[in-house]
Amino acid sequence: MSVLLPVPVVQVLQVVTIAGAAPAVSGLIARLEARLQGRRGPRVLQPYYDLAKLFRKEALAPDGASWVFLAAPIAAFTCYLTVPLLIPVLTTYGLPLGYMGDILGGGFILSLASFLVAVAALETGSPYAQLGASRAKTFAAITEPVILFVVFTVSLLTGTDLPYALAATVRSSAGQIIRPAHVLAAAALFMVILYETARIPVETHTGTNEFGMIEEARPFEHSGPYFALLRWGSAAKQLILYTILINVFVAPWGLASTQQAGSVLLAMIALPAKACLLGVVIAVIDNSFAKLRLFKITEFASAAFLLAVLGVFTLYLGGG
Amino acid sequence: MLPDQTPSVYAGGANVIAVLILLLEFGMFRQALLRDQVRLYAGQSGLLAALAVLVGAVRDLPGLYVLAAVTAALKVVAIPLVLRRLLRGADPADVPATGADIAGSGGLGLASTVLIAIVVAAFGFFAAGALPISASAAPVTALSVSVSVVLVAFVLMIQRRDVASQAIGLFSLENGVSLAALVVAASLPLILEVALTFDLLLAVVVFGLLIRMHHGRTESLSTADMTSLRG
Repeated sequence: MSVLLPVPVVQVLQVVTIAGAAPAVSGLIARLEARLQGRRGPRVLQPYYDLAKLFRKEALAPDGASWVFLAAPIAAFTCYLTVPLLIPVLTTYGLPLGYMGDILGGGFILSLASFLVAVAALETGSPYAQLGASRAKTFAAITEPVILFVVFTVSLLTGTDLPYALAATVRSSAGQIIRPAHVLAAAALFMVILYETARIPVETHTGTNEFGMIEEARPFEHSGPYFALLRWGSAAKQLILYTILINVFVAPWGLASTQQAGSVLLAMIALPAKACLLGVVIAVIDNSFAKLRLFKITEFASAAFLLAVLGVFTLYLGGG
Repeated sequence: MLPDQTPSVYAGGANVIAVLILLLEFGMFRQALLRDQVRLYAGQSGLLAALAVLVGAVRDLPGLYVLAAVTAALKVVAIPLVLRRLLRGADPADVPATGADIAGSGGLGLASTVLIAIVVAAFGFFAAGALPISASAAPVTALSVSVSVVLVAFVLMIQRRDVASQAIGLFSLENGVSLAALVVAASLPLILEVALTFDLLLAVVVFGLLIRMHHGRTESLSTADMTSLRG
């Protein structure tokens, strides 16, 4: 196949891949977790059916909630669909819009989305959603330094903080993969991802009424298509974070290096496959650890911070 | 700091092992049971032996294989065994009544301790990095890490108020010193290295007996009661 895809099409395909494959990755993790616990579990495609059902339902808003409540899910979902344009989802070469923002820019857009969801949760007046929003913001402030130090590591390694540049550096030699700074930064990022995607040491992903809930408590008052957008958005956020870990830090292989339709198609299959492999790891972690008490989450964050800071230290001492 | 200078796979691997040793030192801050603390120490010593094998293989120093074997035999097998034998009955895992001895013995919260230890480790890193030492066998970063291991072990011994963690802190401090020796003087005469390791075994026996006596007298591993001995 030597059909060359125009650059804008590849760019759109990045967003399509993330939005399309995200529910499947969530569904696979849920299924796998259930199997590991000896349950049959939902179908892998169950999240799609859930979304389809929610989109057909009627939307309700609490009494007194302003337009922000209904606008926030749409705006947050838009944010989640913007980030795939900035990170290497399908290609090894930077697409034109990929230079709109660096890793920090992507991080800002993700936090903007989470801020909007928190504002919508505050709009509801429901104490539970507000508690979730408040907790999410509190712990986000603790994990923020970790992300900053990971970005510092990346920029010390490559001299820039574009995700494409780090992926190219990692591909360049085996010495780059095994150097402690890279290993530590990847491990710290993985811990942040566990926090951001509401996985086990921090929070139970499934479950509806629990005192320890953080992220999952926020969309409590949303319903219908708006709730569907929030659910889809959090699945997309999860796949975006997995993509950053996989395609930038851990395994930036299997990406298309040309615009040929065949290689782009291969990359569209390879990314969900790699994300599912990471999902297997996440499911195993989910089943082998207990949830931390709420006030122990700082210890989890301090461990991630330790890894990220040590990464920067080793770099400063000449090529660690 | 040269961003575009990629270290070799060997240097990277050696550095990763050194950093893992440091991370296990940090892990000791949160262990709640004597048994786990000893296990962590054994793991740390195992990594040290692995590093000795790696340096020996790449730098062609066969003496290091012997050192690795001695390290593995003594620090991974013998010392944990002796410690467990001496402290049988003192581990909170065996005696539920004294369960709080090690678990809650930290003078500070875990997160604050880790932050303090990061600052101390940073001091060690940059202090050692400023020294004009050119190591021939292992990368210089590993030397800085070893200084950090020593300093963080000090933090562990200061912060934990139970004799067991303090003793393990001292032993792991020795691991840091061995790491430094491996980096700076890999071709040190074998007899010296082995003598040092056996020295450690003696220290372990002495400390084990001290811990045992302390536990026999106060029925606890905590050092809180010792303050009443002050004049």
